[in-house]
Amino acid sequence: MEINWSTILGIIFTPIIAFIVGVTYGGLTRVITARVQNRYGPPIFQNLLDIIKLYSKESNINHGVMQHLGPVFAITASVTTLFFVPVIKDSTVFTNFSFHGDLIFLLYIMVFGSLGMALGAGQTGNPNSAIGVSRGLSQLVGYEVPFVMALVAIMIQFQTTNLNDLLAVQDHFTKWIIFQSPFAFLAAILAFLGMMGYAPFDVVIAPAEIASGPPSEFGGKYLGLMLTSRSIFTFAKLVLFTDIFLGGASDFITLLIKTFILYMIPVLTGIVFPRYRTEQSIRFFWSWPLFFGIIAILVVVF
Amino acid sequence: MYNDKEASKIVDIIKNFARKHSLWIVAYGTGCGAIELPPTMTSRYDAERFGIRGSATPRQADVLLITGYLSVKTLKRVIRTYEQMQEPKYVIGFGSCTINGGMYWDSYNTIKALDRYLPVDVYINGCMPRPEAVISGFIKLQELIAQGKADGAKRYQENLEWYRENQRKVIKNWRMPEYNW
Amino acid sequence: MNSIEYILFITFIGAGLTFIVHHALPKLRDTLAILVSALDLYFVIQAISEKSKVVLSIADFHLIWKTTPYNNLFAVLIAVLGFLTILYAHDFMSSKDRLGYFYMNFLFALGGMYGIVYSQDFISLFFFWEIMTWASFLLVIYCCKDAQPIGLKYFVFSAIGAYSLLIAIVMLYSLSGNLELTNLISNFSNFSVSNQLIVVTLLLLGFGVKSAIMPLHVWAPGAYFISPSPFTALFSGALSKMGIFGIGLVLFKFAAQSGYFSYVQIILAWIGGITALLATFYAIFQTDAKKLLAYSSIGQLGYIIIGLAIGTPLSIASALFLTILHAAFKAMLFMATGAVYFRTGTTDMNSVSGLIRKMPFSFITALFGIITVSGVPPLGGFAAKWMLYESLIQSRHYFLVIVVFAASTAAFLYLYRFIFSLFLGQEEKEWEDVKEAPLLMVIPMLILSAFVLVVGVFPGLILDPISQSMNYLGNFNFNYETSVLFNEWGNQVDMQTVVNTIGAVFLIVGLIITFKGFKKTRYVSTKDIHTSGEIPQENENLTYAVDFYKPFERAIAPILKSSIDKIYTGIANNLEQAFDYLRYVYTGNGQTYAMYVVFFLSLLILFAELIFGINL
Repeated sequence: MEINWSTILGIIFTPIIAFIVGVTYGGLTRVITARVQNRYGPPIFQNLLDIIKLYSKESNINHGVMQHLGPVFAITASVTTLFFVPVIKDSTVFTNFSFHGDLIFLLYIMVFGSLGMALGAGQTGNPNSAIGVSRGLSQLVGYEVPFVMALVAIMIQFQTTNLNDLLAVQDHFTKWIIFQSPFAFLAAILAFLGMMGYAPFDVVIAPAEIASGPPSEFGGKYLGLMLTSRSIFTFAKLVLFTDIFLGGASDFITLLIKTFILYMIPVLTGIVFPRYRTEQSIRFFWSWPLFFGIIAILVVVF
Repeated sequence: MYNDKEASKIVDIIKNFARKHSLWIVAYGTGCGAIELPPTMTSRYDAERFGIRGSATPRQADVLLITGYLSVKTLKRVIRTYEQMQEPKYVIGFGSCTINGGMYWDSYNTIKALDRYLPVDVYINGCMPRPEAVISGFIKLQELIAQGKADGAKRYQENLEWYRENQRKVIKNWRMPEYNW
Repeated sequence: MNSIEYILFITFIGAGLTFIVHHALPKLRDTLAILVSALDLYFVIQAISEKSKVVLSIADFHLIWKTTPYNNLFAVLIAVLGFLTILYAHDFMSSKDRLGYFYMNFLFALGGMYGIVYSQDFISLFFFWEIMTWASFLLVIYCCKDAQPIGLKYFVFSAIGAYSLLIAIVMLYSLSGNLELTNLISNFSNFSVSNQLIVVTLLLLGFGVKSAIMPLHVWAPGAYFISPSPFTALFSGALSKMGIFGIGLVLFKFAAQSGYFSYVQIILAWIGGITALLATFYAIFQTDAKKLLAYSSIGQLGYIIIGLAIGTPLSIASALFLTILHAAFKAMLFMATGAVYFRTGTTDMNSVSGLIRKMPFSFITALFGIITVSGVPPLGGFAAKWMLYESLIQSRHYFLVIVVFAASTAAFLYLYRFIFSLFLGQEEKEWEDVKEAPLLMVIPMLILSAFVLVVGVFPGLILDPISQSMNYLGNFNFNYETSVLFNEWGNQVDMQTVVNTIGAVFLIVGLIITFKGFKKTRYVSTKDIHTSGEIPQENENLTYAVDFYKPFERAIAPILKSSIDKIYTGIANNLEQAFDYLRYVYTGNGQTYAMYVVFFLSLLILFAELIFGINL
């Protein structure tokens, strides 16, 4: 890993861009939800205001070191994930470290944050947090399986585990992996619904049920850090899916269009659906997404 | 645009602006007034326009709504909820019951004046206040925040002994945990 | 005398001596045991450079002990773990009685393991195998009367393993007239296919019992649970690896020579995969920390067996890497659990909670342990898991990789349960006076924690000896650098970059959040939580621990319905009934037996011509 100016620029600007885009998408989600419910909705930068307000809280409490570090784990995972995903195709600045990691590494670093967060939530001693974590981890087992199936199918098909190689394969829009192996995309996008945590898969946060679950004891700067992390992580996941299935993007406009379309899938699903119970959610992921995943692998093998 | 005249630094202006436009309420449904909140939040009156949002736990919240009469038994829980909130925090008294006891004036088990027990920033008059009144109350709170006058939390800490004395007077079995302020 | 002689001599004499010293000078006993294990460690390292070889001729048999790269890998593992666990045992066992018995068997088990890894012929291997089994059996039943049925189960399964090993050895001898490993390996291809198959199956069965692969695993949860914690660390960390040692040897030295090797590979790999998945599911629903770790141990050995069975260079490397790591992290986790047991007297996850602020070092050890097991970067587990997945994908085991990944993800559940229940959660009044474990218990835990951290950043340090031992097993070469791993398609993971990124972001954000308004951040107790305004009383239990994964249990209920243990219990009950009938025959009455003898003789005479061809 050699350090030069483009690396440093990438390191500085990628998280900032990710944060801005993620926060704006979060605000857009609220506006869209409001419009669907026949409301006017908050301003588009509402999430940014929320985050600033949380950081400017004057008193904060924690129940110990792990709760203090929980949100730090979360944001570490988000930013690291972001650094190992090529944001802009063939760019010297925004590919960051994506040559030094691969898809399996990304799979693991993506759960790093939730596990760290779970440790932090565990130390609060709030039963609601523990219930939330228990639900979240159970659901994780649900959606990781079809997601891995989709990734395995793609990895076998293109004989690579590196995202940059996958991007190089999709040099024309007819060669996008969404068209080359549609079943893998179906499995992955259904898993993506669970990954984003919108309804019907919002068993973890479940606001009116378990008092927002894991973050229920987090307030002030801790909650602010968590929301920051979530904004960055949303963007990182969207870019990852764009890179894998939609051929990546060679400029920011394309990137924004593609990620926005992708983002609307879980958001619009979330607006119209009520919440699953945890076991229903797990069983859902082990039915249709799993089926699509098996088909995707079988298509590659034969 | 209202702003704190004494806020010399730009940071304070930004802070106050963000606080003003992001009010997360923990709606403690103490009395009948809680029924006015759903219409305030949903499509007809849409309080989310002003950045007002419900929050699940007091740790995340900014505003405590006391929606109507407050029995002594509930007061104990309300105090604890208030003390678990993070500063800066604001209290809105909802309806005439919180001002002077309202129709429960001679009740044996409700409190009469809320601000003897908790520092109230804004009262909303009415029995019940309609959603328009609720929203206007919130806007009043926003003005106070922008001017830096919504300092209920500070008052509570400075006069903690006085508040505690009043609280202990009405709450007979005082078994509250000690907080390390 | 060369190093191997020293090792065997010191260990076995030391074992006997500790027993005697326990009765004469109890104070010296622990020091002696620590000294013996430290000397072992010294000579094991000495033996690597010395390239020792010992030949002992008895009658016509040559008993040979030799160092090879493969042997050294396991010997170092045993020596380090043995030393640390004995160090740990000093304080842990201080309040127990019959310590002479404990230390003697502990050292016998160690000596048995040294004998197994260094032996180059099947006679001494079997001899030491039995010593190890007996010593571990005696330690399993050490604790109390409850241990007896569990000990019996362990004994029965060990006996099954030992007999199949013995039959295989006898077969090998009758087929080739020789029991030296090198001769057998060169002669193996001359055997008929069916003989090869039987020998390999029997050997795998024999070694498989010790490494607890799935139909043979039933002894493990109980035995790991009931044995004293210092020994459990060694039991799960090193003793179960003897099975792995044997399986590796059998697979690549014997089975690889024959045509059906690919079938053996596939079957073994799937057995490993199913072991990993089911053991993980069972681990999720345990309520005792040690039982949970026991099932986790079975599952982790499943991964190792998959790695060995796949047989590509990367997968073998990952299996051996995981072998070493598993020894480290399972010892860490058992030691941390032991520390909790030492201070609280229980390992029940439903009753212990919130020890983090009382036992910070044990918590850190447990945290590093679970991060390593889960395979999350930046600790060592990631490198091993990464190599395993890459090799599975590249060797086109599409569905096996899904099974492994599902098992690995489900492992998060029990790992979180483990650390949450013991260390996080409500700080109950019951455990208010708990203190950190004594220094001698903390030091081994921290040494192992440092080890997994270093290995995570520089996997190449461990991959060097591993690649040497792989060259001994066969012609396996794979590509790696000190901190960079490569797969067969040339994709890489640069651990240095990963660790730098994680470390930098973590430090920067951690510092900002700590210093920004540091004084206004205050600590509040775990009773001061959001409970809808209700005030929890001092003795009120708010911990969420019972039925932690109920939703998950409901989701996978159909899988958990049947268990192999139940099948075995069924067989055992039926056998008991059958033996009840036998009791009618063996009445215990001398006259009846005399009658049987007469009856048998008359039968013999009657059918003498038919059977023996003799006409009386």
